[in-house]
Amino acid sequence: MTVTRAVTVLLEDRLITFTRAVGLLRRRNLPVRSLAVGPTVTPGISRLTIMIQSDEATAERAVQQLQKVVGVRAAAAFPARDGVSRELALVKVRATGERYGELLDVVQLYHASVVDDSPEAIIVELTGSEAFVLSCIRALERFEVLEVARSGAVALELGLTDAGARVPANT
Amino acid sequence: MREQLTGSQILCRALLEEGVDVLFGYPGGAIMPFYHALPEYPELRHVLVRHEQAAAHAADGYARASGRPGVCVATSGPGATNLVTGIATAHMDNTPLVAITGQVPRAMIGRDAFQETDIIGITQPITKHNRLVEDVEELAEAVHEVFTVAREGRPGPVLLDVPKDVQNQKLEYAGGANGSARGATGRREGLIGRPTPTALVEAARLIARAERPLIMAGHGVILSDAYDELRTLAEHTGVPVITTLLGISAFPESHPLHLGMPGMHGEVHVNRAIQQADLIIGIGLRFDDRVTGNLAAFARGAKVIHIELDASEVGKNVPVAVGLVGDARAILRELLEALEPRHCDAWRAEIATFVRPRFESFKGELSAEGILGAVEDASHGRCTVVSDVGQHQMWVAKLFRYQRPNTHITSGGLGTMGFAVPAAMGVVMARPGEPVWAISGDGGFQMNMQEIATMVQERIPVKMAIFNNGYLGMVRQWQQFFHGRRYSSTPIWSPDYVRLAEAYGIPGWRVERGDQVEAALRGALDHDGPALIEFLIEQEANVFPMIPPGASLSEPIESEAVTA
Repeated sequence: MTVTRAVTVLLEDRLITFTRAVGLLRRRNLPVRSLAVGPTVTPGISRLTIMIQSDEATAERAVQQLQKVVGVRAAAAFPARDGVSRELALVKVRATGERYGELLDVVQLYHASVVDDSPEAIIVELTGSEAFVLSCIRALERFEVLEVARSGAVALELGLTDAGARVPANT
Repeated sequence: MREQLTGSQILCRALLEEGVDVLFGYPGGAIMPFYHALPEYPELRHVLVRHEQAAAHAADGYARASGRPGVCVATSGPGATNLVTGIATAHMDNTPLVAITGQVPRAMIGRDAFQETDIIGITQPITKHNRLVEDVEELAEAVHEVFTVAREGRPGPVLLDVPKDVQNQKLEYAGGANGSARGATGRREGLIGRPTPTALVEAARLIARAERPLIMAGHGVILSDAYDELRTLAEHTGVPVITTLLGISAFPESHPLHLGMPGMHGEVHVNRAIQQADLIIGIGLRFDDRVTGNLAAFARGAKVIHIELDASEVGKNVPVAVGLVGDARAILRELLEALEPRHCDAWRAEIATFVRPRFESFKGELSAEGILGAVEDASHGRCTVVSDVGQHQMWVAKLFRYQRPNTHITSGGLGTMGFAVPAAMGVVMARPGEPVWAISGDGGFQMNMQEIATMVQERIPVKMAIFNNGYLGMVRQWQQFFHGRRYSSTPIWSPDYVRLAEAYGIPGWRVERGDQVEAALRGALDHDGPALIEFLIEQEANVFPMIPPGASLSEPIESEAVTA
C-alpha cells in the first residue's frame, strides 16, 4: 500500500557518505518527499531521515540498498503513522500595521511563535507534522508571506525500536 | 628504527600484501610518483595498455578468470575517465575490480587544475565503494579497505583516488598492521546472511512437491564456486538446469539435465519450459529483463525460490515465494540435506517435446556453428572463450558446448562492445598456458584493437577471432525486424585484418570458406603468441530465436519467415 513512510539512516557524518546515500535514492528512482540530516549523540554519526511515498516492498528494498553503502551504519523504514514525525518551518511574513493583530491571532491559533519582530516583517516558527505545517503556512498566506524555510521531517518509530540496533532482515 | 617510505612505496607494499601480482595501467602526470616506485617492486608486473579502458577490461577479465581482484591504474583526468566504461562493466557483472587513479595534489583539488576531474563523483554510482585518500597515514588502510569491499559479499568494483602529493608524502611504515580495514568490514560481514531454518524447510517442501520445477543458474553460482553443489542438487532432484548468459559454464553442457540459455535469444524449449514451470529455483541471478522478457507474463504459473547473496535483489524484479539470502554454495548444501532424492522424468519428457529444430540462418558452409565447433575441437575443449557484444556473443553463448567451470566470459549486464580483446589479456594472465579466445564482431574488435600492441610488447598470447559480416550485426538485425530494414549507420568498413596483423608482427588468417577453418585455427593455436583470424561470415545472418523487446517469453521469432 502506498503511504508516507520514513526511512531513517545512521551514517558517518562525511559529505561523501551523505552523497552516496542520497545518490542511491536518485539512482534507484525513489519517490522522495523530503530529506533531513543532522548530528546524533554519537560523535561522527549523522542521522538522515527520508520521507517517501511508497509501498512497503519499495521502502524495504531502499533500506537494504542503503545498508550496502559503505559508511552507512544502520537503516530502517516504518510507515509514518507508526511513528512521530515532525518538521520545523520558519515563515517570514510582512507585518503591516492594520493587520498585525490578526496575524498574531493566527500565530496563536497554531501554537506557533514569533521569533523575530522586525519593523517590516516578522518570522514565525512552527513545528508539527507535515500536514500541520502546510495548513499553518496556508493560513499565513492570507498575509504576505515573503519567505519560507522548512527543515524536512524527522521521525521516530513508536515503542521500543532503535534503528541503530536493528540488524538487516534476512528472509 | 622503522623505514621511512613514500606513499607510492606504501601503495606498492599494500598491493603486494593483498596478493596482487599484475597491474594493467597507463602512466601520466598525477600518478608518476607511483610509477617511479614501481620498478622497486618487481613482483608487481605492470602491463602497459594502449588505452585506459583496456586496462579496466583486462583487470576485469583477470578477476573473472582468477576469482581474485583485478587491478588497473590510471592517471587523473582523462586517464581516470577512460576507466569509466570498464568500471561500469564490472559493476553490472559483479566483478572485484580495483581501480587506482592519480589525483592532482590536495591543495589543487576543487580548483579545476590541469587534468583534474572529480572521479569520485563520476564513479560513485558505478562502484561498490570509492575513496579519496586524504593523507598518507590512511593510505595502507584505504588500500586494504577497498580490496576487502571489492572481494567480500557480492563482489564489485572499487576506486581509490590518490593525490600526487600523498604519493610523495613520507611515513614510517609498519606494514600490514596499518591496514585493518575501517569499520565497514565487520558490519558488512553481517550482510552475508544465512537463511532461516523455516525458509529452508519451506523451500525444500516446494521442491519436493513441484511437478514442473526448473533451476535457473546465474553468475552467483560461478562467483560462489558452487558448481559441485549445483550439479549434486540437480542430480539429486532430477530438476533440469537453465544457465543465464553469465551462468553459462556453471553447469556442464553435456549433462542430460542441461537445458540451455533462457531469455531474449534463449532456446524456444527453454523459454517454454519457464512459461510452463510450477517452480523456479533461481540461484545467483537478478532476473534481468533480458532473461524474463515482459515481466507481467513471466512464468505466471511458477512459484519462485530465490537463492541470492544480496537481500536487496530478492523480490526486486519477480515476486518471490521463498527468499534464501546468503552464499549459494552454503545454501545449496543445506538445501540438499533437507531434500529426499526424486526425479522429474515426466516433466523432462514434456520439455523434450518443446524442442524445436534450430533454424539455420547461415546459407553457406561457413556458419557460426561450424566455426565454433571447430574452435572447440581444435582447443580440445580446454580453452576459455571471451566474447564481445552482439550477434556473435549469442552464437558463442549458445553454440559452444561448455564443460569446464567458468570458461565463458562476457560482458552481460552492461553489454560493452570492445570488451573481449582487452578482457582476454587479463584472462591469459590469470590462466597462463591455456588457450584463450577473444571472439569479437568487426564492430567490437575495432573498438579496442589497439591492444594488439600491448599483447606483442607484453607477450600475451590472446587468440583473436573476428566474425566479420560488414555490419553492426545485432543492430542491423533489429533494424531488419523492427525498423523496416532501414540499415541506418550499421554497414561498417573494416581494414585488411591480415595486413593489420602483419603490421603488428603477428600471424593472421582470413577464412572465407569452410575448408580453411581448421588450418587457420591450428596455425593460431600452434603459434606461440598472439594470433588473429578473420572469419568472413554471411552478411545478413540472424540470431534465432528472438523475443522482440517488451514481448513475453511465449512470443519468439523463430526464423526469417516472419520478417516484415
